[in-house]
Amino acid sequence: MDWSEVFGPDALVVLLSTSVAFAMPTALAAVGETVAERAGVLNLGLEGMLLSGALASFLVAYYVGSVALGTLAGVAIGVGLGALMAFLSVTLKTEQIINGIAIVLVAQGITIFAFEKLFGGGDQPTVAGIPDIDVPLLHSIPGVGPVLFEQNALFYVSVAVALGVCLLLFRTRFGLSVSAVGESPAAAEAMAVSVARTRWLALLVCGGMAGLGGAVLVLGQLNVFEEDVSGGRGWIAIALVIFGRWNPLFVLGGAFLFGFTDALQIRVQAVSGGIASTVPTEIFGALPYAVTLIVMVAATVWAGRDAQPAALGVPFRKEVSA
Amino acid sequence: MSVSQATARIIAPPQLSRRLRSLLASAGAVLLSLVVGGLLIVIAGGDPVDAYRALLDGALGTPYGIGQMLVLAIPLIIIGLGLALAFRGRVYNIGAEGQLFMGALASGVVAILLPAGFGPLLIGAAIVAGVLVGAGWGAIVGVLRARWGVNEVITSLLLNFVAILIFTYIVRRPLRAPGSPDLQGRAIQPEAALPALPDLAVHIGLFLALALVPLAAYVMARTPFGFRVRMQGFNAEAAQTAGVRSGRIIIGLMLISGGLAGLAGSLQILGVAERLDPGISQGYGFTAIVVALLGRLNAIGVLLAALLIALLQSGGQAMSVIEGVPYAIVIAIPGVFVVFLLIADRLARGH
Repeated sequence: MDWSEVFGPDALVVLLSTSVAFAMPTALAAVGETVAERAGVLNLGLEGMLLSGALASFLVAYYVGSVALGTLAGVAIGVGLGALMAFLSVTLKTEQIINGIAIVLVAQGITIFAFEKLFGGGDQPTVAGIPDIDVPLLHSIPGVGPVLFEQNALFYVSVAVALGVCLLLFRTRFGLSVSAVGESPAAAEAMAVSVARTRWLALLVCGGMAGLGGAVLVLGQLNVFEEDVSGGRGWIAIALVIFGRWNPLFVLGGAFLFGFTDALQIRVQAVSGGIASTVPTEIFGALPYAVTLIVMVAATVWAGRDAQPAALGVPFRKEVSA
Repeated sequence: MSVSQATARIIAPPQLSRRLRSLLASAGAVLLSLVVGGLLIVIAGGDPVDAYRALLDGALGTPYGIGQMLVLAIPLIIIGLGLALAFRGRVYNIGAEGQLFMGALASGVVAILLPAGFGPLLIGAAIVAGVLVGAGWGAIVGVLRARWGVNEVITSLLLNFVAILIFTYIVRRPLRAPGSPDLQGRAIQPEAALPALPDLAVHIGLFLALALVPLAAYVMARTPFGFRVRMQGFNAEAAQTAGVRSGRIIIGLMLISGGLAGLAGSLQILGVAERLDPGISQGYGFTAIVVALLGRLNAIGVLLAALLIALLQSGGQAMSVIEGVPYAIVIAIPGVFVVFLLIADRLARGH
């Protein structure tokens, strides 16, 4: 195969612009997970929230014909699953790891059911793609312009939401409360910050972000829904939170690394001619997962776990003074 | 909680009433999930009573149907036992699917490439290879957690994708069946195929799965290792104080649960597909998580839960053909099981 079709000057711009676009669903979910984990809840249901958001947004966009309403539906179902996670983990205080796995299993089952019920046996349904918008002036910057400023509307919305949540964490009272209940819930409670309320809110934000990620994936990129369309992006997002040391800006950086490997493997498959080719496309297909795994392990080994919120995964029980 | 208190609670078996309540919680969760399944059947335009009758008929109506159910149950029992043990020690291995595929790959390679003439020894070699490679794939996760505290849930899950892609690559390139255009690997040598029981058409791996149930129960309840696992799961700090070396337990649990998943993969190749085939698992590694949880991390419970889910899945095919409701309903039910179980469990125990 001809590698200049992947890394040549023109191809590279295409590769990078697809990289940032492919990074977006994972980036949104990962920033959402950062909020939940900084509040002390390990939300392993992320993959299920992403998947459900993808299906809900696809269905609404397909039947109603509105990308905006579809996106809102994705966010709404994500928030709903965030509420389920919060009910189990914060209110009932059952084991967080199991809660998360249960949510993924439910989401996988229900999405397969709904999709098969509605479209089983027929042609694969598609929704129309949304047009790219060139940002005036900025898009003509050489190199950067075509990569960042010739994307579709959902991309710009995603960037705004992701950066907005970063601001929320670093610059607001809510952000402070989140860190407080994640690091030292007892102290937070003593300062009149409700641990339960803050964790509930953090999980709703997390679910909404993952649902939005699902919407961006199917409405902004793929334009189809299929079984397991999220393809592990939710799990990758959780790994990226560890890689990014619970700092949303580093987490975003990690998401772009994932987007790059994903764009690269798809490009290689396209250029090499797919299943008949001599190029071991599976090796490239494994790349996004393997690279994520390696960087996560490397970050943990080198940096230790100092940055991990101290109360991560531990349900909070108020001390009842007798 | 002090070490002695923790020890006392583990040595003294849980009171019957607690065990009974947790059993009732399981039963309640199963019933509620079947009600939800019924609702889904109604949504899909079917009649729930007829549909469930068709399901039972399909799974239990003929010897062949029962056989198919048992074939489905075999990997669920074997993987479920390993996961139950691991979860007891709070090692959340959700990479059984990948461990299954790596075990299957190793078994398949041995059963295809070793020269003929070994007879049953070939079966033994293939199974040992599957168990070892599955255990090794699991151990990667165990070492990362034990040595550096890397979250095992994420690593084990991400390794699933890597394992399945390696399997697919081997099937597509080096060991592709000659002349086959699609993803079909070479057939194993005939003497490596597991014999099947007449009428039922179940491979003899069934006996292995059934034998593992009491063995797992024994390991869990009667061995020092099982004791340490329970202790670590119950209170990791107290266990540490009492001299339990948690790193060894973690790696041990990943070796066992990975090895059992590898064994399940091995049996799928030697007993079911009889060739390297990417279709050997219908997500057994994930369904087994439900089996372990529904079975209350208890060996007999795992056996019952595996049979129940196998019944749903094998009968579900008959149901979808006869009643025209989507097969996906039976895929949706297990996840619903777990959510109801979590809630029922908490209600049964009180706050």
